[in-house]
Amino acid sequence: MTQAIDLEVKNLNFYYSGEIHALKNISLPISRHQVTALIGPSGCGKTTLLRCFNRMHDLYPKHRYEGEIIFDERNILSSDIDLINLRSRIGMVFQKPTPFPMTIAENIAYGLRLKGVKNKSELAGRIERALKHAALWDEVRDKLHASAYELSGGQQQRLVIARALAVEPEVLLFDEPTSALDPISTAKIEELLVNLKNDVTIIIVTHNMQQAARVSDMTGFLYMGELIEFGATEKIFTNPDNKQTDDYITGRFG
Amino acid sequence: MNVEKKRKIEGIIALSLSGLAAAGGLFWLVYILADVLIHGIGALRLSLFINDPAPAGSDGGGLRNAFVGQLLITLVATLIGVPIGVLGGTFLAEYARGKKIARLISILSDIMVSVPSIVVGAFVYAILVRPLHHFSGWAGALALAIIMIPVVLRTTEDMLSLVPWTVREAAFALGAPYYKVIIQVVYRGAATGILTGVLLSLARVAGETAPLLFTSFNNNFFSSNMNGPIASLTVTIFQYAMGPYKTWHAQAWAASLVITLFVLALTILGRLALKWRYKR
Repeated sequence: MTQAIDLEVKNLNFYYSGEIHALKNISLPISRHQVTALIGPSGCGKTTLLRCFNRMHDLYPKHRYEGEIIFDERNILSSDIDLINLRSRIGMVFQKPTPFPMTIAENIAYGLRLKGVKNKSELAGRIERALKHAALWDEVRDKLHASAYELSGGQQQRLVIARALAVEPEVLLFDEPTSALDPISTAKIEELLVNLKNDVTIIIVTHNMQQAARVSDMTGFLYMGELIEFGATEKIFTNPDNKQTDDYITGRFG
Repeated sequence: MNVEKKRKIEGIIALSLSGLAAAGGLFWLVYILADVLIHGIGALRLSLFINDPAPAGSDGGGLRNAFVGQLLITLVATLIGVPIGVLGGTFLAEYARGKKIARLISILSDIMVSVPSIVVGAFVYAILVRPLHHFSGWAGALALAIIMIPVVLRTTEDMLSLVPWTVREAAFALGAPYYKVIIQVVYRGAATGILTGVLLSLARVAGETAPLLFTSFNNNFFSSNMNGPIASLTVTIFQYAMGPYKTWHAQAWAASLVITLFVLALTILGRLALKWRYKR
């Protein structure tokens, strides 16, 4: 099976605070419309890597990228990239649900308004579509104008996913999206992830190896800022080439 | 005496001492408020609000000039102080977050909050009243605004800092530029808190006399001209309470009651808003 490549990471190095070398010479391809999982022990750099894809590090001083991430034939790490445009094409969902202090409908409309959608009926239609897409519509259809804070944690996380989907991104980054949720909400989000890959490319950072095994097609194992092994999820979890990978997935460390 | 018994006695002593201290504080507070209420309520009548002062010593008359002057000065002070305070707080909590300059300005504002208000009055006297050679409502408003700014600024900074950083990141991740993140997301999250700060700062300046003495001075006649001396309730209370006439004293009590109730209402409103914010 050959897969189209959506994002290509080439010899990526990343430094925090000017000197801390957080990512070391990382290269990997991200396949289009597949789920790529990044696993590894705390502090291995998986979240750091994830946050390179939408240049989240740019919010903080003294960061430095070296190398390339090719997306749509351009290096998104170059300084002339329009971050606002990049971030509307590569969305992100965070560890803790991050609803905005507004109503459920307004939360979804926020990203759309940023993109210049003003027409009321179009907004309403896209809000409904996004909520359906994130499997939340049936639970919130009667309270679209209630505060987003009234939702449960799992519902909030699906709301945030709906908000990210509403702007129709090509790639969605998930940073441990279920680590703050109960098992039932987690199962719902995992199911959603698998369904979403028909429309978007997904990169997910997770601490939960069973989760990586359940939802992903490709898996990368990072350790101490290096990509130790990258390959099909099935192979990584059943027959990894590298001893460190094997030790990690069998729970011998990390 | 065993250790447990000793501890119990120590506990009783500490409790009684702190209880006494609290009662002592409360006593004077209630005494003052009750005194204002008892004296003020008798002198409270409609003419107080709709008539201008009668000639000194004669009956009748009211303090319309002072109510209007007070409102004008406070309004202008709010219009100057609140935008500067909110924008300054935004700078500290957002653009200068974590920088040394933010820390420095925060500390300076904390000092500013506790600067005696008469110093502010003297300052405005020196920069505005003296060069122009006359007292003015503008100068009074400026003095009150200077007192408001650090209060509003610090509350705004604190309230903005309470909005989780991850919420901002989420807005950035949707492709929002920073000013839109602040205005559309962060302000909404902190709105009630900021409003509380504004109300409390209003309560703070509504009762100020000292900064007005040097700036807006006073005016026994009705005036809404902010370019000249203008009456204010607090300075009028000061003048009337010091005066020799019974009618003046009664009106001073009534005006004190009105101001006290106004400040009380603002404070309660502020607290309620804050409570409402955290209930959600």
